[in-house]
Amino acid sequence: MFFITYLRRELRRRMRQAIFIALGLALGIGLVVVVTAASSGVKKAQADVLSSLYGVGTDVTVTGATPKPRAPGSAPPKNAQTFQAGPGGAEFCQNGKCHSAAGQTVDNLGSQYSAISASEVAAVAKLRGVSSAAGGLVLNDTQIKFPKKFGQPGSSLPQPKSFNVDGVDIGHSSLGPLSSGTVKSGRSFTAADADSNVAVVDSGYAKTNSLKVGSTVTIDKIKFTVIGIVTQPQSGSPPDVFIPLARAQAIGTGPGGKLTSKVNTIYVTAASAADIPAVQKEIKKLLPGDTVTTASSLASQVTGSLSSTAKLANDLGKWLSIMVLIAAFAVASLLTMAAVSRRVREFGTLKALGWRSRRIVSQVMGESLAMGVIGGAIGVGLGFAGAALITRISPKLSAAVATPTGLRFASNGPGGPQTSSPTASHTVLVPMHASVTASMIVLAVVLAVAGGLLAGTFGSWRIGRLRPATALARVE
Amino acid sequence: MYKLTGVNKIYQKGRRTVPAVRDLDLVIEDGEWLAVQGRTGHGKTTLLQILGGLDRPTSGIVEFDGQDLAQLREAQVTRVRAASIGFIFQTFNLIPTLSAAENVEAALIPLGTGAAQRRHRVTAALESVGLGDRARHLPSELSGGQQQRVAIARALVKEPKVLLADEPTGNLDESTRDEIIGLLEKLWRELGLILVLVTHDSSLARRAQRVGVMSKGRLTIGPDTGPAPGPGSPAAPPPEPGPGPDPVQDPRP
Repeated sequence: MFFITYLRRELRRRMRQAIFIALGLALGIGLVVVVTAASSGVKKAQADVLSSLYGVGTDVTVTGATPKPRAPGSAPPKNAQTFQAGPGGAEFCQNGKCHSAAGQTVDNLGSQYSAISASEVAAVAKLRGVSSAAGGLVLNDTQIKFPKKFGQPGSSLPQPKSFNVDGVDIGHSSLGPLSSGTVKSGRSFTAADADSNVAVVDSGYAKTNSLKVGSTVTIDKIKFTVIGIVTQPQSGSPPDVFIPLARAQAIGTGPGGKLTSKVNTIYVTAASAADIPAVQKEIKKLLPGDTVTTASSLASQVTGSLSSTAKLANDLGKWLSIMVLIAAFAVASLLTMAAVSRRVREFGTLKALGWRSRRIVSQVMGESLAMGVIGGAIGVGLGFAGAALITRISPKLSAAVATPTGLRFASNGPGGPQTSSPTASHTVLVPMHASVTASMIVLAVVLAVAGGLLAGTFGSWRIGRLRPATALARVE
Repeated sequence: MYKLTGVNKIYQKGRRTVPAVRDLDLVIEDGEWLAVQGRTGHGKTTLLQILGGLDRPTSGIVEFDGQDLAQLREAQVTRVRAASIGFIFQTFNLIPTLSAAENVEAALIPLGTGAAQRRHRVTAALESVGLGDRARHLPSELSGGQQQRVAIARALVKEPKVLLADEPTGNLDESTRDEIIGLLEKLWRELGLILVLVTHDSSLARRAQRVGVMSKGRLTIGPDTGPAPGPGSPAAPPPEPGPGPDPVQDPRP
């Protein structure tokens, strides 16, 4: 076909320029594909983090309110432990009784979230659009060993040792973080374990603390027997230890005191994905003081390099790839205009032969489109290579979720009264993957065609206005 | 047939006006060979461009086969050019990336001719100029004379009514020049088309039927001097009637 022959020969004639244009477009398109693939990989990593935090089947999570910090000098809530340090030494107090802190070990299973009653859990379960709801307790066991000379000048607050403890509703095993775990050894909970001091332990925590089935783990000074070890997705901040909800309610404390028959988290499954926003809204109306979140809103609570990488991919990465693409389009357009300018006499001759302007324009557009398609194909290849490289390197991104310990410390030193609530931060490493999907390839093709058409349009705008006599008079 | 009446072409160069063609009246009959001479810059090429519809006159009528080219829309002029007018340029103006056959084929593309017919006509056109065996050669692989032959084939492949040649031998050596002019003359005779040849060379101009001289935009036509057109040409005079019956042999009483 004459059109194809002419196109092919012309691209061969200016092969260097054609390669330059195609490579420029390839770079821009490849960058878009890589950034999109990386962004998609980061989003998946975030989703993995969240699903391990709140379980596979959980669509909405309700968390008890975090009470406002009490004013210094005001009386602490019942059963709350406080710490004071001053010129006379250091002591910690609970329910009005104070002891010297020196040489003491504190082991507290606490929650910083306000409690939610069983009736409130039942009310949530009955809402329209809710498939099921289960309560749980998200607690933190914190042990602080104060040295004998604690409180004296020069001594500092010892670093607490803590681990997460989740109280699991054994009757709703498909909800909550334990639902995403796989039993590696031993067994999970049965109905008979409801009031027993038994625990299921995360495999990573078990390895770190040399625990196996039959070992004991001390929670709030009570020994729990390990009956099973589960492997959980480490892309989140999974709980370290699971105990039956009834036992957690019996021994745990919250801002308001004991947690008997109470929970601080509700895991909710919606009837369908479309129901999630409505369910979230209804729960907020029912429990206005509590925090109601879906998976997408929980993403903002995850910090660490995972969060930074997400921002990098979405902001810097996106804008960088757009800038490179614009530059590639501009270069392609300018080079095409220059090539058309050099062929003015040739186009004048074609007009003299009786070729209409639009026929000549379609020839130039065809040449530009061909370069765009070639650039797009190379760009997709570059995108695949970039994504494969990321997956092969699989950089580990850190995801940290701060977990409150349930302790509150008040001090009255030279700087005036102060309170602090130490938190324990759990950091996990999330491997980053990137994969190219069909929609990214479609995007690349669209960009390639757009780039080619844009360059061709700029290049050929002059052809329509070309007067044959003027063109033929051009000396080349 | 061409009929030009009161044609002017004035170029505006800033505040200066440059009259390239002034008050030109000209009739070119079908099958006629007109040579146009004159010094550089006196309007020869401009006249050719007006005749070919490549440029529009500033004023006047350019009648070709009953249509005023000066009044037609660009698309209409392009159609007339595609079907009826062939061009030959001093610098050949072949498309460098296309072979000889493809260059000739380019002239048939605007006519919408089918691929098979295009191939057939291209082959015939190249053979008529003696380049049947050079069809696949690129212009860079051909001599100047061969390139001009390809250009002639390209101009004639669409069987035009008019052939406009602007210094077709200007870039050729003497022997090649004679070859090309000889070829043009032969084709003119065989095909009976209008041939307007712009040239500096008086010896070439004298071979035409009529010679015009462009001087400062004005055309002066000399008396017919050149060869008679071929028998196939519309410009050829009708054949003279033969002698009557021999009176001695007449058997009538």
